[in-house]
Amino acid sequence: MRQRRTEDYAEFASARAGHLYRSACLLTAGDTHLAEDLVQETFGRLYVRWGRVSRAENPAAYAQTVLTRTFLAHRRLRSSRERATDTFPDLPGAGDGDAPLRLTLMAALARLPAKDRAVVVLRYWEDLSVDQTADVLNVSSAAVRTRCVRALGRLRELLGEDVHEYSRP
Amino acid sequence: MPENQHTDLFEDRFATALRDTGHSFRTDDPAALVTGGRVRGRRAQLLRRTAVLGGAAGVALVGVGGALLLPGGTHDDPRRTSAAAGPARTASPSASASPAAVSFTGDDILRSLKELLPKGTYSEEAAEGTGSMMPPHAHVVFDDGKGAAAIGLSLNRVEPGSEQARQVTTCPDKAFVDHDGCTSTRLPDGSRLMLFRGYEYPDRRVDTKRWTAELVTPKGQHVSLSEWNAPAEKDAPVSRPQPPLSEAQMKKVVTAGVWRRVVDAMPASPKPSVTSEVPPQGVPAGSAGDTLVSLLPDGLTVTDRGGEGDYAFLVVDDGQGGSLVQINVQPGMSDVAGQLFGDAEKLPDGRLVTTRKSPGEKGAEGVVMWTADTLRPDGLRVVVSAFNTPAQHQDATRDAPALTLTQLREIALSSKWDAGA
Repeated sequence: MRQRRTEDYAEFASARAGHLYRSACLLTAGDTHLAEDLVQETFGRLYVRWGRVSRAENPAAYAQTVLTRTFLAHRRLRSSRERATDTFPDLPGAGDGDAPLRLTLMAALARLPAKDRAVVVLRYWEDLSVDQTADVLNVSSAAVRTRCVRALGRLRELLGEDVHEYSRP
Repeated sequence: MPENQHTDLFEDRFATALRDTGHSFRTDDPAALVTGGRVRGRRAQLLRRTAVLGGAAGVALVGVGGALLLPGGTHDDPRRTSAAAGPARTASPSASASPAAVSFTGDDILRSLKELLPKGTYSEEAAEGTGSMMPPHAHVVFDDGKGAAAIGLSLNRVEPGSEQARQVTTCPDKAFVDHDGCTSTRLPDGSRLMLFRGYEYPDRRVDTKRWTAELVTPKGQHVSLSEWNAPAEKDAPVSRPQPPLSEAQMKKVVTAGVWRRVVDAMPASPKPSVTSEVPPQGVPAGSAGDTLVSLLPDGLTVTDRGGEGDYAFLVVDDGQGGSLVQINVQPGMSDVAGQLFGDAEKLPDGRLVTTRKSPGEKGAEGVVMWTADTLRPDGLRVVVSAFNTPAQHQDATRDAPALTLTQLREIALSSKWDAGA
């Protein structure tokens, strides 16, 4: 039974690893080491609860929720260091073609409070609705809307209206 | 350009940029993430078997303790650590005033545990000693002839006199954690001992029993013993009516002197896991929830609760069925006063209050949500809502929420929130 469970877990985790890692990179504003740590921690939690996870309606969404909450739990513990710094995060591949967009966006995300960043990632990367985002974060939909408006306002200040110019043509 | 259009254009551009950026991250080694996760999961399972505070059920261990006694580690001291086949001497840092720089292997822990248990057979033995990254722990499936049962032991250090030290030996309130019995007592040496007879699943969807003994000494040595009436804590059929060890036998195991020496041999304060679910210092566990409970009118029973930090929910019952109540306490919200409190009532002291009745937010049938929303002049927003259902995604189970708008307003305006802000 344990063997089967391990295989099922491995199959699911292998299929989701890439996406969860990218989500974690955005949540951590480009801290890829922390992102790896968060993904492993997420998989660890999924492994422990695998019976429940595998029966969930949408295991992938479940995994995303665990990742987001793991990230927020991490940030809460680090709340005294929540303030963004002026230094850019440690980014691999900073020399490649995506670097300007990546650096600029990550630096802007790093300036958002953790919960606002989570809202932004869930809404615009995961494409979740306000209600779904509220479920993941265990807050009201009204709180999500408030955070979203505030975060977008701040990002616009930081990135300027022409954020698309950083993006691919 | 109207503000909305302005925002929408930026929103679209930002979303595109975010997606492009997200896709530019590539992990070198996805298999390592999968394997790393499994290793962490297995470790956590081992720990969970042995730690009563592990997992989500670790919330809300609140209540009051009593007092009972024990001879402080005397005649039944199982074994000197330096005895035959004893622990290896190492140069590893010894945390506190332990007599010698000793370490304990997983086998040492298992051997000591077995010496303290009644006669029986063992299987599925697993343990780690003081040389591991994890706190020392052991797990066995024990059979005294009446059915195989999982037993777990874990050893750790807590800050003496801390909230954590108090909580682990304080009986949970039955409203939050269903159980068949619990005593919390003080031993002659100043240690606190909690003996808890409860269930693996607090909602009793499976009747697997979990009995635990938690001992915290005045020096902060923490010994935790758990036993089940099944060969595994979850996903295994119940094998016997009760777990194998009586309360007296559990007490004998956790009070054995050897465990204190093992704790003393642990390396100095390992850093807390970054993903620990313990809230940071200064934010008491369930603080919003505790305050909310204290503000409830008489006649309500709390049947469930959860949340963390500045968010909490309760399910309260006034005799007509469960009613979900949730609260958000959000500092620094002055900048949204215009959006949220445009036509709100302003109290003489400057606080803004608005109440509303609206449909539920999750689309369940017939659900209503009654809300009192308040904003202090210092930017602290307290918003509390009550529903006519125990869970937002469930259809309505009663005509109205268990709290009136007036009661919600009183709760949100309580000065108790200011103290915690």
